[in-house]
Amino acid sequence: MDNRVGITTTVPIEVVYAAGVTPVDLNNVFITADNPQDMVEEAELAGYPRNICAWIKGIYTTVVRNSDIRRVIAVTQGDCSNTHALMETLHLEGVDIIPFAYPFDRDRDMLKLQIEKLMQAFGVGWDEVNKTKKTFDKVRAIIRQIDELTWQENRVRGFDNHLWQVSCSDFNGDPGKFAAEAAAFLDRARNAPAIGIPVRLGYIGVPPIMTDLYDYLESKGARVVFNETQRQFSMPFDTDNIVEQYSLYTYPYDIFRRLEDIAREKERRGLHGIIHYAQSFCYRQIQDLIIRRQLKVPVLTIEGDRPLYLDARTKMRIDAFIEMLK
Amino acid sequence: MYCGIDLGSRHVKIVLAEGNQITGFHKYDTVEFYKRYGYKEDDKLVVDFRGLGLPDIQPGSGGDRLVTTGYGRNTIKIRGGEDIPEIKAHALGAAWQTGLQDFTLLDLGGQDSKVVLIRNGRVTDFQTNDKCAAGSGRYLENMAAVLGISLEELGGCRKNPVDLNATCAIFGESELIGKIIEGSPVEELAAGVNYTIYKRVKPMLLQLAGPVLVFTGGVAQNRALGELLEDELQVEVVVPRYPQYNGAIGCCIYGGI
Repeated sequence: MDNRVGITTTVPIEVVYAAGVTPVDLNNVFITADNPQDMVEEAELAGYPRNICAWIKGIYTTVVRNSDIRRVIAVTQGDCSNTHALMETLHLEGVDIIPFAYPFDRDRDMLKLQIEKLMQAFGVGWDEVNKTKKTFDKVRAIIRQIDELTWQENRVRGFDNHLWQVSCSDFNGDPGKFAAEAAAFLDRARNAPAIGIPVRLGYIGVPPIMTDLYDYLESKGARVVFNETQRQFSMPFDTDNIVEQYSLYTYPYDIFRRLEDIAREKERRGLHGIIHYAQSFCYRQIQDLIIRRQLKVPVLTIEGDRPLYLDARTKMRIDAFIEMLK
Repeated sequence: MYCGIDLGSRHVKIVLAEGNQITGFHKYDTVEFYKRYGYKEDDKLVVDFRGLGLPDIQPGSGGDRLVTTGYGRNTIKIRGGEDIPEIKAHALGAAWQTGLQDFTLLDLGGQDSKVVLIRNGRVTDFQTNDKCAAGSGRYLENMAAVLGISLEELGGCRKNPVDLNATCAIFGESELIGKIIEGSPVEELAAGVNYTIYKRVKPMLLQLAGPVLVFTGGVAQNRALGELLEDELQVEVVVPRYPQYNGAIGCCIYGGI
């Protein structure tokens, strides 16, 4: 069996690791590559349209370039429909596709069935999976403490909060090493001076394609103390049951459960405003209208197309938003 | 002396003030401004005020106050100047020019479309165009050129607008050419162009609607668009005396006049 399997977004990685296989979050490989912009262009040269999400194009090139990734778990329901065509184009390149679907209505039986199908594909049973979950609970508990230090004691920067949580999708391919590094970071953060930036922001939506967003916000006097989706990747739920865990996970289901989570965290963390990030050409751009109607807090919607840096117009809009909140 | 500079995409606007009196309005083509009257020194732009025919502004120790805003400020900072966000500058300028405290501001510039909700003189919400500049001054300039009329003539046309549907401002030109071939009168085509701008900004305006709409930016000189806004939205449209200088005036207000 191949040792690495690509994933297009967060999936029950307990199953994958239990089988002795290493999951690789293809988004992370793409965005940390030397020149992610090139990877988007490479997909366009292969025939991907200009007006399609850059993450999809980046994932495509990532798999094409990494010949050791011959299998990909594709989230075909609960993420985006572009993934369907992404999988078909990768299939054309000889990649094996393992579909995984989060049921729209969060039906536990359906979700259990999906997890069992994944277990079947990887040849593992419930005992191994549950044991792996228990191990991962400890890793996730460290990440939860990093998150708490971010908003309760203001000792962790928004970007670090983002990075540690977003990395929980695959634990960077080595949960043991990841846990040790996170624990070391946590120790340092506990003794770090409190960050004195007045405006407290929440960041909601998919992780940003621009890597300089957090630094830019801080340079303007605002700090992200809540990263919605990234926090969800870290599975911040108190449950022993893996099916329960992936049904509490908000990202792949409807917007309303996400909004409940956001509203709760807005109160708990004392957010002054929220930045809603929407990827260009993403169906989630439509949900912006629901978010604006339901959230009782100022919202700035920013749109990102290509990696890697904020453009002048987005900076102008961020400046005005922070100025408004001060 | 106070000097407010709005570094726009099409024009750089400079407003000078002394005490609480505005003493001068000056406008320069943006490319000319950077090429002929500015040079870079240690990551800052030094402006040749004398070359521009202006008094020699001495910010800081010289006692003058220089405040800048506009698209250009994110790319390069002017030496001795303090830069403020465009929306803040425009809100300050509009409140000062109109004497109003509660209103919706529509600013249509060379590439920008901004809608800002002002309550008690403070910005409480805003929307801007993001990835596309089809509903802006540059679009009007291009379309006027295709029709072979001046911007002023374009701004006089609002009756029987021809329906124009192209999403892209550039494809809009070929759509317009097609309509010319079909025989539509220039006045109706120009009215169609004006109506296209209205359609572009309408969703933003509806989000932040109020009974009074202050209309600024170079495009506010387009009379037909002002009338369209008034009729279609059933609001009072106020165009201040110096719509194009509104951002630069706001910089002077921020500076302390």
